[in-house]
Amino acid sequence: MSFIFNLTFREIRSSWRRLLFFFLCIAIGVGSVVALRSLIQNLSQAVGGDTRALMTADFQISSTSDFSPTDIQKIEEIVGKSTIVEARNEAITSAAMARPVDETSETLSFVELKGIEPPFPLVGEFTTSDGKPFDFKLLENGGAVVSPLLLDDLKVKIGDRIKISDGTFEIRATFSEEPGGASGFRLGPRVFIEKKAFDSAGITTSGGRVRRLILYRTSDNPTELVKSLRDNLKGSTLTVQSYRETQENLGEQFTRTENYLSLTGLLILVLGGVGVWNVARVFVEQKRRSVAVLKCLGASGTRIIAVYLLQILTLGLLGSFFGIFLAQCFLWFTKYRFADALPASLAYTVNLSVAWQGILLGVLISLLFSALPLLQVRNIKPRLLLHDASGEKMRRLDLPRAVIGAVSIVGLLALAAWQAGSLKVGAFFLVGLGLTSLFLYVAAVVLTKILRNARNFGSFSIAQAVNSLYRPGNQTRIILLAVGLGAFVVLAVQSLQANLVREFDFTRNQTLPSLFIVDIQKSQIDELARILEEKTGEAAQTLPTVRARIAYVNGQPIDYQNRETRQQQGQIGREFAVTYRANLDKNETVLDGEWWTEDADVPRVSIEEEMANRLKVAVGDSLTFDISGRKITAQIANVRKLDLRNTRTAFIFVFAPGVLEKAPQTFAANVIKKLPETERQRLQRNLIDRFPNVQIFDVADIVEAFQKLVNNFVLAISFVGSFVILSGMLILIGSIALTKSQRIYENAILKTLGARRLTLTSILFAEYGLLGILAGVIGAVFATALSFAVSKYIFEIEWQFDFGLTLLGILVTAVLVTIVGALASFDVLFRKPLATLRSQ
Amino acid sequence: MIELKNISKVVRSGAEDLTILDNVSLSIADGEFVAITGASGSGKSTLLGLIAGLDAPSSGGIFIDGDEVTKMSEDALASLRSGKIGFVFQSFHLIPSLTAFENVMIPMEILGLRDARARAERLLTDVDLTNRGHHYPTELSGGEQQRIAIARAFANNPKILLADEPTGNLDSKNGQHIFDLMTELHRQNNVTLVLVTHDQGLADKAQRQIRLKDGRVLSDDKN
Repeated sequence: MSFIFNLTFREIRSSWRRLLFFFLCIAIGVGSVVALRSLIQNLSQAVGGDTRALMTADFQISSTSDFSPTDIQKIEEIVGKSTIVEARNEAITSAAMARPVDETSETLSFVELKGIEPPFPLVGEFTTSDGKPFDFKLLENGGAVVSPLLLDDLKVKIGDRIKISDGTFEIRATFSEEPGGASGFRLGPRVFIEKKAFDSAGITTSGGRVRRLILYRTSDNPTELVKSLRDNLKGSTLTVQSYRETQENLGEQFTRTENYLSLTGLLILVLGGVGVWNVARVFVEQKRRSVAVLKCLGASGTRIIAVYLLQILTLGLLGSFFGIFLAQCFLWFTKYRFADALPASLAYTVNLSVAWQGILLGVLISLLFSALPLLQVRNIKPRLLLHDASGEKMRRLDLPRAVIGAVSIVGLLALAAWQAGSLKVGAFFLVGLGLTSLFLYVAAVVLTKILRNARNFGSFSIAQAVNSLYRPGNQTRIILLAVGLGAFVVLAVQSLQANLVREFDFTRNQTLPSLFIVDIQKSQIDELARILEEKTGEAAQTLPTVRARIAYVNGQPIDYQNRETRQQQGQIGREFAVTYRANLDKNETVLDGEWWTEDADVPRVSIEEEMANRLKVAVGDSLTFDISGRKITAQIANVRKLDLRNTRTAFIFVFAPGVLEKAPQTFAANVIKKLPETERQRLQRNLIDRFPNVQIFDVADIVEAFQKLVNNFVLAISFVGSFVILSGMLILIGSIALTKSQRIYENAILKTLGARRLTLTSILFAEYGLLGILAGVIGAVFATALSFAVSKYIFEIEWQFDFGLTLLGILVTAVLVTIVGALASFDVLFRKPLATLRSQ
Repeated sequence: MIELKNISKVVRSGAEDLTILDNVSLSIADGEFVAITGASGSGKSTLLGLIAGLDAPSSGGIFIDGDEVTKMSEDALASLRSGKIGFVFQSFHLIPSLTAFENVMIPMEILGLRDARARAERLLTDVDLTNRGHHYPTELSGGEQQRIAIARAFANNPKILLADEPTGNLDSKNGQHIFDLMTELHRQNNVTLVLVTHDQGLADKAQRQIRLKDGRVLSDDKN
């Protein structure tokens, strides 16, 4: 045993430079898995870990209209019987527009307004920016506690007064962390005011998107109580939710994201594995003589394999540890670069369990990918010391090889399934990766075949460079596969981004409105239309909207006890803005049924395609809507498809005329004309000053937010893609190191024959230039194909070939490969030929 | 005792069979010093390799101390070499990743000997390379490399030392030094020494000389 340990140590000591690539391949792969998993787990912890604090209660009942006395009575009855309810409060939330009282200021901002009453919060902490616990007195008599972001947006400071709808509030404090602050998308900064101030400001009466909440703190698990409330409130538009369900839903979403991200990490790790396989293969090839000597000295094949296996394990383990360190660096970088955009409570440390997982993965990948090359040790005969037996034929049918090969594939499948959290997804991943690699490999084979003919046409350097690519033991195809894959990922994402951004380019897309105004009262609509026409010179388009919730589908209440339905509660149970009109809009197509052309006896509604699928309804089914407490049942007359690219309005439900005219309604208006930013701001400010209750969406802001989202997404994927390229580069450097002795020998001969250093340098650059161009072309071709397919069939957007991007991609790849290749081989040029030739 | 009974070795060369050894039979007694000579391609090195179990004959049997080498598995052959045989090559075949000292220790470590370190130091003293132990093979001259190879060959106290043209890559002064070292160790340890050589002068110093021609024993004489 000491022989195995001693020799392992000595081998690592002398071969560590060659094996450095092995080490780095594993480190980068493990680093990716650990970093991505840790980040998402920490995020899950920060966002969903304390859903109780997020909800600021143990359970809540919410409604988009006033709680009716019957509902209140039912709730009180059930809650009153419960022994676990400790405390209760109410809250109202709504989006609103805020502006400084100062008339000279033209600033304006959307805010997420929350009216609260003591005790607040029922669960969790609430501290103001100066570190003091929140005191309800701050809100009394027209006070507001706001997010620091609002101060920037409105250019105001603590002590200033702001107007929200008809109310005026004094900013008394800002807060560093609000209870429930980490939750997703926000229209604007959070503003806390007294609940009763909501009414006095006229926000509750203007028909805006108001959500009323009754919150409870319990001393025990509220699941039973929630169930009983839900049973009793069935058919009403109230939603009961416990923090545990939120936690469950969030948890599921995070697990899914984590598994998909882990697969991305695994992709990098598998690429690292390819690097490992390559290094191990050439390493064993180089060690043939040493293995033969050891066998000659009496070491058995098994013991020698044990030495190399131990070496692989050690490097795999060290590589994994270094990978964990890299992951930690990545998290530090994330903190440094993105902390502002991420939840304040997010931890930036590697999770211990994930680290263990990473180590296990690193070691397993090392073993799986080096097992086959290592097995070659068995076939090395000591007789090669007497006469070189490199030309000896291998046995065709080698059972242990076949078995180890099969074990490696099964092992890889198990790893993929483990990381994906599903055997099916794992298998898809592996097959997908296999197919992609196969395609890339075939492309590499075809291109190198074509290139082989090029040596007859080019200069001496080109001809030599092409020859070099076919040097015995060359790694050309592996390099093309690895670097090509990296270029493919990055270019595909860049191309998709270009197409997506082009599609939503505000300045190009003439059909998008520039401003969108909602919650306009009937009494305000004429005057508002007049102002719009006066300021923009175009007739304002106005349309009525009625707020409605789905009460019954085919006479049945929606069963939120059903888990699947509950997960879609956000989409189904929310309040919809519905409209009524006689004609079909330009951006709409009827998929099923017919658009109404004449009057009918029954109320009719048109439903958008995806919602129809979600509700599992078709033409002829009935939907009952709750509109301000009144139930209206309508028959589905048709299913529509909305082209969201050319949308001015996007109504999920459209009623036929003659049903909703008498229902309480507000109006929406839009401005199509493209106005310069300052004019847009001035117009918005004018409108809000005049009609404080309306809400104005600046489409440019929304598009900007969307572009930012796409950009972040692209940044994230490109980041991962650059890791793939990095793996490719490592494989490149590794391959160069492994075939260096041949290169040195060739150079020595060429020098002896009179080649100057300049000639040798140009051969070197030509070789890697060609390699890089080939890898770039392969990556670009596949990236173009993928970007086309995804644009056309998944995003359903117009696709354009981006010549500049493709060319740039090929160029960057070529330059990168040339630089890395030339740097890794440069010292070869300076070797004296005599010493090299004598040592051969 | 080494016994070769009707040994033949045929290899495939292109489309034809090439006979390297043709029905060779001989025996070498314990402690004997035998030189095998012959022209290039006469089968000398192959014969030596077959005795060490580095390759298998096409037909015939090889026995060492009565054990049939030709029937042994790869692993059994490895332990036979480890226990009984030392080998010195023309091109030294030191392991480049190990220092001179570690190269000498390797056979003892394979056997699991406890005093490997002390013994390796002694062996380095014997070949007069005490100060060069920490050097890697590439840092040593050809003569020094071969002295290390001899120290390594004697590391496990082998009963048999097989040397394949050990002086072939060395100048005459170094060659003589290596030869003296081997014969000295042979005498001291009563080792069977089988030396393949082109050098008639060295062959004449052996107790017995076997001449090979075209894979057959041409002569077998006591000096």
